[in-house]
Amino acid sequence: MVNGYVAASLKEALEIRAAHDVVPYAGGTDLMVENRKGVEYLFLSKVPELKQIAVDDEYVRIGAAVTFTEALASADVPRLMKEAASRIAAPAIRNAGTFGGNLGNGSAKADSVLIEFVADAKLRLVSKKGERIVDVDKFYLGRKKLDLADDELIAEILLPKQGLEQYSYEKVGGRNALAISRVSFAGVFAAEGGRITNVAAAFGAVADTVLRYKDIEATLLGKTVDEAKALKEDYLKAYADRMVLTRGRVSAEYRKTVCMNLLRDFLTKFGI
Amino acid sequence: MADIRFTLNGKEVAYGGSATDRLLEVLRNEYRCTSVKCGCKEGECGACSVLIDGTLLNSCCVAMGAVEGARVVTMEGFRETERFAALDKAFGELSAVQCGFCIPGMVLAAEALLSKNAHPTEDEIREGLSGNLCRCTGYNAIVNAVANAAKEGNGLW
Repeated sequence: MVNGYVAASLKEALEIRAAHDVVPYAGGTDLMVENRKGVEYLFLSKVPELKQIAVDDEYVRIGAAVTFTEALASADVPRLMKEAASRIAAPAIRNAGTFGGNLGNGSAKADSVLIEFVADAKLRLVSKKGERIVDVDKFYLGRKKLDLADDELIAEILLPKQGLEQYSYEKVGGRNALAISRVSFAGVFAAEGGRITNVAAAFGAVADTVLRYKDIEATLLGKTVDEAKALKEDYLKAYADRMVLTRGRVSAEYRKTVCMNLLRDFLTKFGI
Repeated sequence: MADIRFTLNGKEVAYGGSATDRLLEVLRNEYRCTSVKCGCKEGECGACSVLIDGTLLNSCCVAMGAVEGARVVTMEGFRETERFAALDKAFGELSAVQCGFCIPGMVLAAEALLSKNAHPTEDEIREGLSGNLCRCTGYNAIVNAVANAAKEGNGLW
């Protein structure tokens, strides 16, 4: 094959990745729009190890070459991730687009990546030399900046199995289908014995990477909902002070207003 | 260097060009499947929709290397089927076609939908066709045509 390699196993894919200067190709939906010249693709859609959705004690493990359509058909994928996946583009794109590709494209607009941020997902990266597990926010460093070595591939997304049941998810786009997020928001809430144990909030499409401020979140942890309510305005102000948004298809001011409204709605939804 | 082998509308073919070439352009220029239309090259309009191993894909967003060993079906192949005849009749009866540019993609999207869900609701039809843009009809006639094809073609899907 001219300018391409089709890998039939992960071992073969990693050997090709190490030996040649190749661009990993999963679904192609971003790569073919980009249409880079003079590249060679490593086709991954036939690598069985990257096509599985598995569950262990802690995680739902989604293979990097699993498509959004396949994830939507799986009983194991958390509802929050399915909601985000179902809002991506349209059927033909969901049939091709993959979790690994959404990450690998390095855009803060990637709808599945927003969920990985809010869920504290980890990624399993593999190379001929071995593997490493990284937190998604340590991997996704900025626009098109990923902590991925030239000989590595994204193998799996490790989504926590529990704790994602209570959530808010909103995608603001220009139309229902085929919309690129202008602002996207995901929030996850959990409480135990009347005390807040998780109040994660992530913002997509508004800066170079997905935004999440764990130190601000921490100010509500351990509080009762009533205590949190008393802190609500200070909490929102802390976000408003911290969030420096970039202009995109819409103005930075519009994005900021929408982000703050969505954050407020999220708190209100869970009684705060 | 080995060619890329796949079946196109049931016929085995071998492509000797680059694995990075766009399926859309190869279908149109190399194999003269001109039912496959080029609208945007960004996966946003659905005019280049084809079926690959029975799955609806935008051929503008598929590199040739990804079709190695696959079954590719375009309107040139699909039009030989009974299912096409049912869709053709329904689209004609409801005047669901105006300029026609989106129609090959629209019909293949309908086929992909009906082969998974033989009796879709109106919402499911709209969702199934949501990746296919039409600038003429306002969509309602197309949605009704797909619903009629599902009803009239009962048992075909």
